[in-house]
Amino acid sequence: MQYKSQAVAKPYFIAAIGLFVGQILFGLIIGLQYVIGDFLFPEIPFNVARMVHTNLLIVWLLFGFMGAAYYLVPEEAERELVSPGLAILMFWIFLVAGALTILGYLLVPYSGLAEMTGNSLLPTMGREFLEQPTITKIGIVIVALAFLFNVGMTVLKGRKTVVSLVLLIGLTGLALLFLFAFYNPDNLVKDKFYWWWVVHLWVEGVWELILGSILAFVLIKTTGVDREVIEKWLYVIIAMTLITGIIGTGHHFYWIGTPEYWQWWGSIFSALEPIPFFMMTVFAFNMVNRRRRNHPNKAAVLWALGTAVMAFLGAGVWGFLHTLSPVNYYTHGSQITAAHGHMAFYGAYVMIVLTMISYAMPMLRGREAANSNRSQVLEMWSFWLMTVSIVFITLFLTGAGILQVYLQRYSADPLPFMVVQDKIALFYWMREVAGVMFLIGLLTYIASFFVGGKEPEAVVAATEGA
Amino acid sequence: MQTSPELREGSGTAIAAESLYLVNLLLLPGIGFLILLFLWWRSRAEAPPLARAHLAQTVSGSVWAGILLVVANAAILLLGGYRGPHVWVVVITYFTFCHSMLVLFGAFGLSKAMAGQCWRYPLIGRTLPDGCGGT
Repeated sequence: MQYKSQAVAKPYFIAAIGLFVGQILFGLIIGLQYVIGDFLFPEIPFNVARMVHTNLLIVWLLFGFMGAAYYLVPEEAERELVSPGLAILMFWIFLVAGALTILGYLLVPYSGLAEMTGNSLLPTMGREFLEQPTITKIGIVIVALAFLFNVGMTVLKGRKTVVSLVLLIGLTGLALLFLFAFYNPDNLVKDKFYWWWVVHLWVEGVWELILGSILAFVLIKTTGVDREVIEKWLYVIIAMTLITGIIGTGHHFYWIGTPEYWQWWGSIFSALEPIPFFMMTVFAFNMVNRRRRNHPNKAAVLWALGTAVMAFLGAGVWGFLHTLSPVNYYTHGSQITAAHGHMAFYGAYVMIVLTMISYAMPMLRGREAANSNRSQVLEMWSFWLMTVSIVFITLFLTGAGILQVYLQRYSADPLPFMVVQDKIALFYWMREVAGVMFLIGLLTYIASFFVGGKEPEAVVAATEGA
Repeated sequence: MQTSPELREGSGTAIAAESLYLVNLLLLPGIGFLILLFLWWRSRAEAPPLARAHLAQTVSGSVWAGILLVVANAAILLLGGYRGPHVWVVVITYFTFCHSMLVLFGAFGLSKAMAGQCWRYPLIGRTLPDGCGGT
């Protein structure tokens, strides 16, 4: 670790992993509720468990991004963080606010939570993924502003690199676009329209900038390829991301009451959205192929390459599968969307956070560059367990989705929703089994932090040298 | 790993071959393959090992892509045609899976070609020519 203040990343990473476990547990609960409808009812109803599952995902990824930024920025800026104390203070505020919000979801009926937290003063609750009480949203803005100040001032006072500037643009976009969460018009069309400005422009816009910059940072560190080469790739990737992703928002506007031209704009631009992910795959593998040295942290390199491939499959291929408006007419809101969502979030964002944790954690725990071989082997097992599991989850949900679309929307004699749900229950069971495998992978990942700690650090064998 | 200058010779053709393979899969099916075949026919004898390796992989990969498409279609038609929801479950997952894998092979191949390295496509690739260093 080159700068002492990078240590503030550690609690962020630990919290991220802890919340990740929570997310998966609630995922398993709702997965089971799909087939055993009254499982844990009335203690944890489906709508509440789903809200916890998705909100925990967002919160732990934000923890991961913040931790990644606190680790990456000092090294890129070649100076200490402006205020490590502020970073730690914000960590606790965010963690406590997040925990209280989740407890609120679980312990208080949602309408009561809205009343308790004064939602009527500035109504923002009740919308998918943005269910947080208004007061929590205000807290998120405060934490985001303090975080941006800390990271931004460090970048401005230090060396400015393409990696840190792209990261800063991504993080600023993340904070600014979240402000649309406070815009809650009565008109349902307008409501959905601007809701997507948060949801879509986060995950198919500014988050991709964060993803690209973290991936570039890890590849610079682990391959030794010239920074200039990697930066040029990064420029092209983020340009393609923004060119395709911004107007690509239109693929959410097909059926919400907006003008018909969105079916053209949305189809054309979102059909191009796989391009930056494809480029990311070529980029990552090309950099590793051209590496000037073998890095002892093989697990981190595996995560980095896995990110590129899985992001391309999940966000690119599975996104394209249902993005054209004539196809989306039948598929929107079906299990095909769920299949895409699971693989895209895992491939693009879960894996990039785990890439950064894998790269940084050994140094944060006092190692020179990498964990012991034993620890890395276990970590790589966790990589394959989780990745193969998510592939199967995606395939089972895709199967369920195709059957659902056919029986419920395409066939000449459409069946009711719940009848179809019964017919696709086998896919849900298989998805649940794959979900359990995923949890085992995650537990293996956590175990890798506690294994081989006293063993010497992995080194590059002489024959492997460049 | 960086490669020696000798092996880098032919990297232009190698990159073109991988690009045409991807064009055939993603943009201009058939046309991309015909141009790839022309490139292979023109360069197959005197091309450096790197170019020959990538040309062989991409031609083989394209032929396999066609076989996978034809075999699956033939099997579906022989077994009763494109009727019924379960056929569509198999068809869409099969084509998405096969097509994605073939595109990923192309992406890996392109990254190898750009780095001046030979690479054999898993399962469907041809043996690498002499001079590729067994990679």
